[in-house]
Amino acid sequence: MRSSALRYGWIGYTAARSNMAYRGEVLFRSSFLAVILYIFMRLWTVVYAESKNGRIAGMTLPQMLWYLVITEAVFMSAPRIWAEVDQDVRTGRLAVQLIRPLSYTAGHLSRAMGERVVRFAINLIIGSIVALFLVGPIAMSIRGLAMFAVVLPVAFVLDFFGMFLVGLSAFWLESAAGIALIYSRSVMLFGGMFLPLEVYPDALQPVLRILPFASMVSAPGRMFVNPSLALLKESLITQGVAVVAYAGLVSTVQFIAFRRLFSNGG
Amino acid sequence: MCRSFADYIRLVAAYLRINLNAQLAYRGAFFSEAIAMFVNNGAWVLFWVFFFTRFPVLRGWSFKDVVSLWAICAAGYGIAYCAMGNAHRQLASTITNGELDMWLLHPRAVLPHLLLGRTIPSAWGDWIFGYVVYLAFVRPDARHMAMFVVLSFTVAMAFVGLGIMAGSLSFYVGNAGAMSDQWRDAVITFATHPPALFDGAMKILLFTVIPAGFVSYLPVATLKSMSMRDLFMAFSGALGLLSVSAGVFYHGLRRYESGNLISMNG
Repeated sequence: MRSSALRYGWIGYTAARSNMAYRGEVLFRSSFLAVILYIFMRLWTVVYAESKNGRIAGMTLPQMLWYLVITEAVFMSAPRIWAEVDQDVRTGRLAVQLIRPLSYTAGHLSRAMGERVVRFAINLIIGSIVALFLVGPIAMSIRGLAMFAVVLPVAFVLDFFGMFLVGLSAFWLESAAGIALIYSRSVMLFGGMFLPLEVYPDALQPVLRILPFASMVSAPGRMFVNPSLALLKESLITQGVAVVAYAGLVSTVQFIAFRRLFSNGG
Repeated sequence: MCRSFADYIRLVAAYLRINLNAQLAYRGAFFSEAIAMFVNNGAWVLFWVFFFTRFPVLRGWSFKDVVSLWAICAAGYGIAYCAMGNAHRQLASTITNGELDMWLLHPRAVLPHLLLGRTIPSAWGDWIFGYVVYLAFVRPDARHMAMFVVLSFTVAMAFVGLGIMAGSLSFYVGNAGAMSDQWRDAVITFATHPPALFDGAMKILLFTVIPAGFVSYLPVATLKSMSMRDLFMAFSGALGLLSVSAGVFYHGLRRYESGNLISMNG
C-alpha cells in the first residue's frame, strides 16, 4: 500500500518537474488570464456601480475579483487528460499501458495532479498580481486558507474524472474533441466560473448546486473569499458524493470500454 | 481591374470547393468540429442570458446588443477562416518551419494562394452560428439583416488582416506561434465584450494594438445606427487593417528563409 502510494506520488512529482522545465512557456500562455481578469474586473466594476449595492452574491467588488482569480486559475490549469486517453485508444498505446504494473486510471490521475499543481500555482501568481494591482488584497486567515487547501485537491480529482470519462468516449466516437469542448463549456458555465451561483436565475440554482461542476470551480473560489466551517461541510459533502459517483461511473465505463479492446500484436 | 477582381472571386470559389471536399472526406470529424464550435459559442450566449436576467442593462447595452456583438464576430470569424483557413493559427508555424516554398511557386501573388489553401472545419460552425443567433435573438427586419450580411464580410476582412499580421510576427521574432495566439485571443476576447466597459487609454488601444474596434465595435454601432457613414468607417477600418497586414507580410517575406522541405499537396 505504502509502496503504491510512493510509486504514484513519484509519477506526480515527475510530471510536476517536467512542467516546471517549461515554466517560461506556461507563464507566457497563462498571461491570457490577465486579459480575462481585466475584462471581468471592468464588467463587475460597472455592475457594482450601477447596482448601487456594495455586495452582490454576498461579495464585495474586491472579493468578486479574487473569486474570479481562483475560479479562472482552477479552470485554466486543467491538463488535457481527455486528449491523452483519446490518443492512447486511437494509437493502440493503451495495450502497452495496460501491461504495466500500474493502474491505468491512477497513473493518469497522478500525472494530472502533478501537472495541475504547477499550472495552478503559476496561474495563481499571475492572477494575484493582477488582482492586487486592480483591487488590492482581501482579508484572509490561516484557517480559511487551510479550508481552501482541503477543498482544492478534491476539485482537481473531480475534474480529472470528468476529463477521463470524456477521453474514454474515444472507444465509441470518431473524435473525443467535440465532447471535450462541451464538457469544458459545461464546467465554465455551470461551475460558476464567471458568475457566482447566486447570480443565476433562482429556479436554476438548486440544480447547479447538485451538479458536480460547482464542486470543481465555485467551491474553491467561495472557500477562498468567504471561508466558513458551514461552507466547508457543505462543499465536502457535495464533493464526496460527486467523487464516489464519478469514480463508480469511470470504473463501469472503463470496464465496458476495455472489453472492446483487441490486441493484434505487431 | 474588374476582370482581375472577378478572377480572384472565381479563385476563391474554386479553392473553397476543393477545400470543403477535402474536409468532407472525414465527414464525422468535420461535422463534430463544426457542431462543437456552435455549442461553444452557444455557451457564451447562455452566459449573457444569465447575466442579463439578473442585470438587465449594462451601461446602455442590452442583451440584444451583446448578442449582435457575438453574432457579427462569429459570422465574420467563420467567413474569414472558412475561405482563408491558412490565415488561422498555423501561419506562424508555417513561416517558422520554412514551409512557404510551395506557395512561392504559384503564379500571381503569394498571399491569396497561401491564405486560400485551407478551410477550418470549426469556422463553418462559427459562420452558421452568427447568422442563426442574429436571426433568432435579434429578429431583424430585412434592412438590418442585409446590413448584417454586408458587415459580416467586413468583419471577415478584419479577421483575415489580424490573422496575417499575427502570423507574420514569425518573420521578425522567430517562432511567434504562442505570441500570435495570445494576441489573436486577446482581440477576440475584447471584441466579444461591450465596448462600454472600457474607457480612456484602453479605447485607443482597442482601435490600434488590439483592433477589436474594427472587428466588432464599429460594425455593431453601424447595425444600431444603420448609417452609411458608420458602414464606411467599419469598411475602411477593416480594409486598412488588411492592407497594413499584407504590407507587413510582404516586408517580412524578404527575410524568409526556406526550410528546404519537399512536400506534395493533393
